[in-house]
Amino acid sequence: MLKVIGILLVAAVIWRVEVPSLLQKNYKKELVVFLLFLSIGVGLGIVQALGKPIPNPMDFLTFIFNPLNDTFFR
Amino acid sequence: MMRNIKINSNQFLVLVIFFTIGTSILEVPSALADKTNQDAWITAIIGTGIGLLVIWFFTWIALWFPTLTYIQITEKIFGKWIGRVASLIFISLPLLYTSSLLFQSGNFLNTHMMPYTPMVALNILMVGILVMGVYLGLETIARSAEILFAFFFLAFFVFVLLIAPEIRIENVQPVFEVNLKNMLQSSLFLVITSSVNAIVILMIFPAFLNKVKQARRSFLIGNLIGGIVIIIITFLSVSVLGADKTANEIFPSFELAKRISTGDFIERIEVLMASLWIISLYFKMILYFYATVFGIAQVLNLKDYRPLTMPLGLIVMVLSLVIYPNVVYKQDMNITTEYSFSLIVGIFIPLLLALIYGIRKKSLKKELNSSK
Repeated sequence: MLKVIGILLVAAVIWRVEVPSLLQKNYKKELVVFLLFLSIGVGLGIVQALGKPIPNPMDFLTFIFNPLNDTFFR
Repeated sequence: MMRNIKINSNQFLVLVIFFTIGTSILEVPSALADKTNQDAWITAIIGTGIGLLVIWFFTWIALWFPTLTYIQITEKIFGKWIGRVASLIFISLPLLYTSSLLFQSGNFLNTHMMPYTPMVALNILMVGILVMGVYLGLETIARSAEILFAFFFLAFFVFVLLIAPEIRIENVQPVFEVNLKNMLQSSLFLVITSSVNAIVILMIFPAFLNKVKQARRSFLIGNLIGGIVIIIITFLSVSVLGADKTANEIFPSFELAKRISTGDFIERIEVLMASLWIISLYFKMILYFYATVFGIAQVLNLKDYRPLTMPLGLIVMVLSLVIYPNVVYKQDMNITTEYSFSLIVGIFIPLLLALIYGIRKKSLKKELNSSK
């Protein structure tokens, strides 16, 4: 639980640093993308902190490249 | 779109050298000695030669449009939508490798220096300076690289000087025992880590350089100097530790630094030497991370890349803990999936780019002239 609070605190700090200046400059698109990535980051962080498994991107790539790997590198 | 950032070709040279040395200094000796035994250093020479050809190919592509970054070039040549897909594939490479290197630095510090500190803590510290660097911008990165470069080469020189008495020339004999095919095969590791992955540097070359022609030379010379450092390290590893020991170590050059012992006075200075690896690792990581952040901002046409830095730092941080469950898995991935991934992004897509550029050359030129 402590870890989750820690991550949320970090997210709050990031929010505090970035959002006011984005609003001030009226960067709408940037704000949306920023929020998207922040929520992905916080979501992944919390899942990891709670000890739940996150799908490994490397396994996905291995799945795609397996035919190539088998032909050339094994 | 972004504010005008320019670095000069000397700063660029230093960045390229750091990128080339990067992780290779830690891993390449064992990867090369694995198949080619005592001839690993010859393999390193071959790898550097092939690497230079790859870099020449990259600069050739980049100079078609000297004011655009690689992502803009892709979009220009492939057209908007296919270009975006290609760009997304391209960006996933630095994103993945940033976390991969983060794992590597955490793993290195954890196994050799701070065994009781959890890897998460080490990674958080590293992400901290990574995000800070990218946030402050390319000029700051380049200048700090310039400053640390002096220290890096001084320490490297001292390292080579102190380890030189331990060289046993028997360890590298017989020379040329391994056939050329095996050498070419295992030199692939060096070519990919040092040169093919350098495709991410096309995010700063040539768009952010003040003198493009000189910068092209810097790119090639930087790669060559980095390659020479790798050749020296590989030669030292094999000649001091022996081929078998080099192949079995995960970090042979660290083992090498432990062997330094001069006059019962200079002993156990490997931690000092480890700063070499941390510096080069850091700059390789930051170039990857910069390419990721800046690439995403360019694909989505954002006015500023900076807001994305911290959230991406968070994502990279988590990925670094997930990406390799253990070192054996990492070693396996290094020579299979990462090979394929790097070759697709770093060789296949650029070749496709060159092909389509050849076909569309006339219409692109016309477009460029009419937009001026």
